[in-house]
Amino acid sequence: MSDTLLAILHMCVFPGGAFALLVAMFFKGLDRRVEARLQRRVGPPLTQPWIDIAKLLTKETLIPKTACRSAFLLAPVFGFTGMAACAAFIPVPGVFDGLFNMGDLLVIFYLLPIPAMAIMLGGSASSSPFGAVGFSREMLMMLAYETPLLMILLAVAMLTGKAMNGGAWGAEFSLLNIVALQQQVGSFGLNPLMIPAFLAYLIFLPGTMGVPPFDIPEAETEIIEGPLLEYGGPLLAMFQITSALKTFVVLGLGVALFFPGTICDIWIINLFWFLLKCLALMLLSLTLVKSAMGRYRIDQAFRFYVIVPTALALCSLILVWVM
Amino acid sequence: MTTTFAMPLGPVHVALEEPVYFHLTVEGETVHKAELTSGHVHRGMEAMAAKRNLIKNVTLVERVCSLCSNSHSYTYCMAVENALGMGIPPRARYLRVLAEEIKRVASHLFNLAIQAHIIGFKSLFMHVMEVREIMQDLKETVYGNRMNLAANCIGGVKYDVNAELLEYIRTTVDKVEPLAEEIREIYATNRLVLTRTDGLGLLPKEDALALGVVGPVARGSDVRVDVRKDSPYAAYPELTFNSIFEKGCCVHSRAMVRLHELFESFSLIRQCVERVPDGPCVAEWNTVGVAEATARTEAPRGEVFYYIRTDGTDTPARLKWRVPSYMNWKALTVMMRECKVADVALILNSIDPCVSCTER
Repeated sequence: MSDTLLAILHMCVFPGGAFALLVAMFFKGLDRRVEARLQRRVGPPLTQPWIDIAKLLTKETLIPKTACRSAFLLAPVFGFTGMAACAAFIPVPGVFDGLFNMGDLLVIFYLLPIPAMAIMLGGSASSSPFGAVGFSREMLMMLAYETPLLMILLAVAMLTGKAMNGGAWGAEFSLLNIVALQQQVGSFGLNPLMIPAFLAYLIFLPGTMGVPPFDIPEAETEIIEGPLLEYGGPLLAMFQITSALKTFVVLGLGVALFFPGTICDIWIINLFWFLLKCLALMLLSLTLVKSAMGRYRIDQAFRFYVIVPTALALCSLILVWVM
Repeated sequence: MTTTFAMPLGPVHVALEEPVYFHLTVEGETVHKAELTSGHVHRGMEAMAAKRNLIKNVTLVERVCSLCSNSHSYTYCMAVENALGMGIPPRARYLRVLAEEIKRVASHLFNLAIQAHIIGFKSLFMHVMEVREIMQDLKETVYGNRMNLAANCIGGVKYDVNAELLEYIRTTVDKVEPLAEEIREIYATNRLVLTRTDGLGLLPKEDALALGVVGPVARGSDVRVDVRKDSPYAAYPELTFNSIFEKGCCVHSRAMVRLHELFESFSLIRQCVERVPDGPCVAEWNTVGVAEATARTEAPRGEVFYYIRTDGTDTPARLKWRVPSYMNWKALTVMMRECKVADVALILNSIDPCVSCTER
């Protein structure tokens, strides 16, 4: 019974739920601010994401007459619960080991696409033609970036499995063991075998977060936010919270997979060290990329993902396999 | 089972600055048919012009369009001067060119910024708008206004520039030119801009000729039209500049025409500042008789054409104008043939459409 209670606590307070939300919203504010500074603007205050959410919560919920009511209402809740659950699986090295000790990498892999699916569901339920175009674009993007992600996760699992089996073939899907091993033998992000996989992960981030150059499913100047066009008020706020949580999840996962090292035994310092690494990852692969690029067309983005990150991830996978 | 569906684009849409409505027939991401409806901002300006006197009409026609406002009042004044058989003083001829070229730089920069905005390149949008802002400051300093300069009057120009202002114009151009060079470099070489715009929205030379497109759209398809060269007016025959032509026929070549034209405009502004002769700014009026006349100039978007018929009173019997966007409009059907949904706004922007001009 206490295990269940503990699991609920992890989902609601730390590292999922409240903690994840606080961190994610802070990161989001910082992201907007840094982007503005790169464009020689002042930018909004760091509290702006909270203000946005607060404003949306006071708005009326409008549902289009032609929309499929239940799916339209359910989609944001679906996305939110998926991400809230997923956030609890992210280990914070030196502070928290993760919710389960076996197979949690696979659980994360299955939970990660849920926000994208929620957007697809909401978009098609909204009965708007822009939602339909957004649906097909989101679908294509998902196909494009999930393949390299799977290969990256497999490469990490195989490398850990092999090390734990003393060189024999094996795969380890427990994030606890993956983190523990890296603390002994050094970060995978510095391992020559895994550098291509790390690069692929950096390319995966803007795709999954839907920021330029891959903000195609919600392209504002083409299909006016696409699937989210008909959403407003608390439902839109829920989508925004989901997206913020997803930022935390993918950044935390990136740190756990490639740079989970700790610097001392004091948990509070380890916590800040973890957040600092997440922040560096975000600035590098989201904020900088976003402010240096425009938007690709969907066919160009698909071709790019099928070639570049997939090749990089495959490269690591093969290297890990044969070495 | 039908696989196509209808998609509305406009009249209110983020990528459009002015209301126009596209009814797109879409299959997946491909546009099979684009039908265009306009008429949302018709203001009955030609009828209004027939109720006002010749002088009041200068103010009216300046409000036809915001980005090429100066070209409208200029061409109107030219048409009236032709009808009345008036000449304008040499100083006014130079000052008119000065205002025209300053407006052209700002207008082209605006169009390029919007192109960056449409491809989602926010930083480039901000960067180009920042440079344009310097030109806006220049307009405000010299003419007192950021958009409608109110620079022209029948028989000459309303304002005079002293040596101090001329020096200010010269230093501003010196300041903007290297920044514009940087922008040209970005548009010409940035991978993402090229991937999105190169080879897109093709308008082959034959089609361009058949449709009679004008301005940078025509010059981007290597059609050699430029009113400043073809029927020189004001001080243009005395100034040296090149007309820019590109052979690509695509969105990118139209952008490159505008970018290269910036530098021709800088050179024209400098020449005007150096050579502007002394003398009066306005000519004496002639009596209004029964006459008809035309005038045409090269606005930032292409040829503006004015026709006026006077009947001896101070109110024109008929005033009619044809704007560049009206000619370029039809070319959209050629450019948008089997394009992607993502590219519709980009192609539309490449003709630098001015809806309020076209519908007046």
